[in-house]
Amino acid sequence: MAWHEDAVEALHDGGVDVVAYLPDSVVAPLIERVEADDRFEAVPVAREEEAVGILSGAWLGGRRGALVCQTSGLSNALNAVGSLSKPWGLPFVGIVSRRGDLGEHNLAQVSAGYGMPGVLDGMGVRNSRMDAGTDVGRVVRLAAETAFSTEDPYVLLADVTLTGGKP
Amino acid sequence: MTADQTACTAAVLEETPDAAVVSNLGTASYHLAALGDRPRNFPLTGAMGSTTPLGLGLALAVDDRVTVLDGDGSMLMSLGALSTVARLDPPNLVVVVMDNGAYETTGGQTTLSTEVDFAAVARDCGLSAWHVDGDGAFREAYADAVATDGTGVIACEVDPGRPEEYPPLDYGHSYVKHRFRREFVD
Repeated sequence: MAWHEDAVEALHDGGVDVVAYLPDSVVAPLIERVEADDRFEAVPVAREEEAVGILSGAWLGGRRGALVCQTSGLSNALNAVGSLSKPWGLPFVGIVSRRGDLGEHNLAQVSAGYGMPGVLDGMGVRNSRMDAGTDVGRVVRLAAETAFSTEDPYVLLADVTLTGGKP
Repeated sequence: MTADQTACTAAVLEETPDAAVVSNLGTASYHLAALGDRPRNFPLTGAMGSTTPLGLGLALAVDDRVTVLDGDGSMLMSLGALSTVARLDPPNLVVVVMDNGAYETTGGQTTLSTEVDFAAVARDCGLSAWHVDGDGAFREAYADAVATDGTGVIACEVDPGRPEEYPPLDYGHSYVKHRFRREFVD
């Protein structure tokens, strides 16, 4: 299976049934698959920060959520992560395409993309990189288990060697 | 004319006593807390701009009624969230924007709410919306918003100001979260 198919099955296995997203060409196959899958409620947002609020509310109501976007979008959401997800312990899984590293053509993507692991580490948001050698299904299942058992967000950053990058 | 924020907050609890109430950080939460402790209160302590999205997510997850008490500064920060609310339009959600025209908790500096008709913006997104500036009008609008088929949005003009007395919020965050969630999840 393609990486995004593994990721979708693993999200389902992890109990996730709400996926909030802002479109991105790199994760488009994952989003399209979620939108077409009745096991998920796909929620498009106008700004990624909203997604953190929506997934937090959904968890308080007993559902489990994932945020799908690219690193610039996660940057838009950082205050909500730092002042809602972290202090309250409101979990979600992030599947975020990481721009700004190998093959990046756009300097505007570099600071937030290349630097995102350090930003998340600095905020105490646990995160892992997924690259071409990653067992995506296993890692996404573990990320969901980790986030929801500890009631704390967990972010997976998908590198271009996994996703193929921007078409 | 302006509505009284305490009276309008009390009207929410009287009209929908079992509603989950998600309140914006600062003034909205102080007014809610001043009316007494409720397991179904979720007062935010930060994350300005995320209040309405959090209420939306909760409304998608539960059949119970959910009311958001947002502020004008917070709503201005995430005005685009109204388009997300409109897309999903859950019938068990009411969003109240308590518009005091000020960033009350940071010293009362003026917001840009004088430039925005929140009810008109919500209507333009396709939502049912009301604009009120009195206690009686708020109570009527809230009853109508609860009864409407989709999400109702009420922009309520209020004076700036905190309640004279209100208890401290749960800045440790753990107890209120678990108590609130247990209302909906076994």
